[in-house]
Amino acid sequence: MERAEKINIGVWREPRVGTRTHVNARAFAAILIGSACVSAALATWLPLQVSIVSVFLFAGPHNWFEARYFLTRLPARFGRSRNFFMVAFSGIGLLTLAYILLPALYYANIWSGANWPNAIAGWNTLMILWIGALVLMRGRQKANRDWFWVLPVAFALCALNWLAPELFSLAIVYVHPLVALWFLDRHLRRTKPEWLKTYRRCLAVLPLLLAGILWQLSRTPSLADDNGLFWRITQHAGADLLPNISSHLLVSTHVFLEMLHYGVWIAALPLIGATGAIWRVKSIPIASHSRGFPKLIGVFLICGLVAVAALWFGFSANYTLTRDVYFAVAMAHVLAEAPFLLRMI
Amino acid sequence: MKRTLILTLAVCALLASAIFAFADIPRPKSTPVQGKTILYSGLTVTSDPKGYEARLQISQGTLKHLQEAAANSGDGGSMVQRVMHSSTRTIMAGTFMFLAISFAGIWFARSAERRNNKAIAAVFLVAIVFGLATVIVRANAGPPGYIRWQNLPQSLMDGKETAGGVQIELVPGDDNMKLIIPLRKTKGPGEE
Repeated sequence: MERAEKINIGVWREPRVGTRTHVNARAFAAILIGSACVSAALATWLPLQVSIVSVFLFAGPHNWFEARYFLTRLPARFGRSRNFFMVAFSGIGLLTLAYILLPALYYANIWSGANWPNAIAGWNTLMILWIGALVLMRGRQKANRDWFWVLPVAFALCALNWLAPELFSLAIVYVHPLVALWFLDRHLRRTKPEWLKTYRRCLAVLPLLLAGILWQLSRTPSLADDNGLFWRITQHAGADLLPNISSHLLVSTHVFLEMLHYGVWIAALPLIGATGAIWRVKSIPIASHSRGFPKLIGVFLICGLVAVAALWFGFSANYTLTRDVYFAVAMAHVLAEAPFLLRMI
Repeated sequence: MKRTLILTLAVCALLASAIFAFADIPRPKSTPVQGKTILYSGLTVTSDPKGYEARLQISQGTLKHLQEAAANSGDGGSMVQRVMHSSTRTIMAGTFMFLAISFAGIWFARSAERRNNKAIAAVFLVAIVFGLATVIVRANAGPPGYIRWQNLPQSLMDGKETAGGVQIELVPGDDNMKLIIPLRKTKGPGEE
């Protein structure tokens, strides 16, 4: 009893401070569904234009919000998760470096691009095995959980990847935006469980919207990709790999999913207080801890804002080149989502 | 000495004749170039008793699809063909498939102690559903294409239409278009 009296209840309340919001569940659902419908309509109507504008406006900021969110989820002391984070950060660094090196070597005329599918398949294999290792490590930290099944699943994915590496990479392009919805689900479960049911009902609208886009655009002619930028956007959406599917449908679907992704990181998670007040460095455990690094985190976040501004400047100066560079470097944030999502499961 | 000289000359003559004989070896028969299927479309064959020339009518839509398919045909064929021609990828895919099945077996054996009967039942149910689906899909596979063309001669004589699928192939050269109809020889009554 004496020990119980010494427990500081304030510590338990603290995480909830940042989650206060004046929005109720119905309004939250209305905002979600409304945003999804508007995104679907815009993506269907003007896919190329919306793709250009949305990447210009939101690509940088959503990375900053995501980085800040991950910092919030980072424990002040790794403790028994030390190995997990070592593997996670090593994987993010090495895989991102390899991902950037592949096109860099090609453009530098050091590599002819021969066996490009094999190189892509190799990279995908490393990524799958890295995520598999993280899942196993995370599974060991959880009592009564046997996550050994991830190994056969990972190897089966590797096999599929080697059969069609380019299509596997394209699948990552389409699946990645949906991971943000999973983050939102896990965060609601922790901070606003009373909203979870409403949120999951809202998710049922997503396949309906996708089916609507498919129905509306499946027979439309492909988009005119007669300039370098439009061509890059259609290629990114898989027009080259899926020539029998209208590129209008592919680009619209991809833009719609990307807008959902941006919406979750920039609007939904901050709306429910997931990242705390964005200017408060002290709401980040690794900064507020007595042995934390508040100055380092502050500098990191300011550098992030400078990078966002630089990205806007780059888009203004040379949109096509900056877009290419961004989507190569942005692989880091795609990879970073894996360990932090696992930490929430 | 004389015999040796004659023998040597005979051997040289034989070798020389061999060279000439080798030179006369006919060129290897050039195997006909296999056309690459780029599109599957439909074809109706009909007769026109008043017409003077045969006509192959292609709609604008089909022509557009044909142009798109031809433009996209430079990547070396379908995915299956590409995989079949890439031994490295086939080997890697096979290796990982082997590992997946092996580790699935290990996982199944490991979980034997705390095996959940419902989970096992679900796994078997999924396997049965897949098996049945495979059987159903195979059973629902349409008849082979030549069946549709089987009555073409009779239909042509009767002035009726015959419709069936047609693969549009790209072949090198500038020959005229060729319409190849798969017709099996049918044994007439009394023939063996």
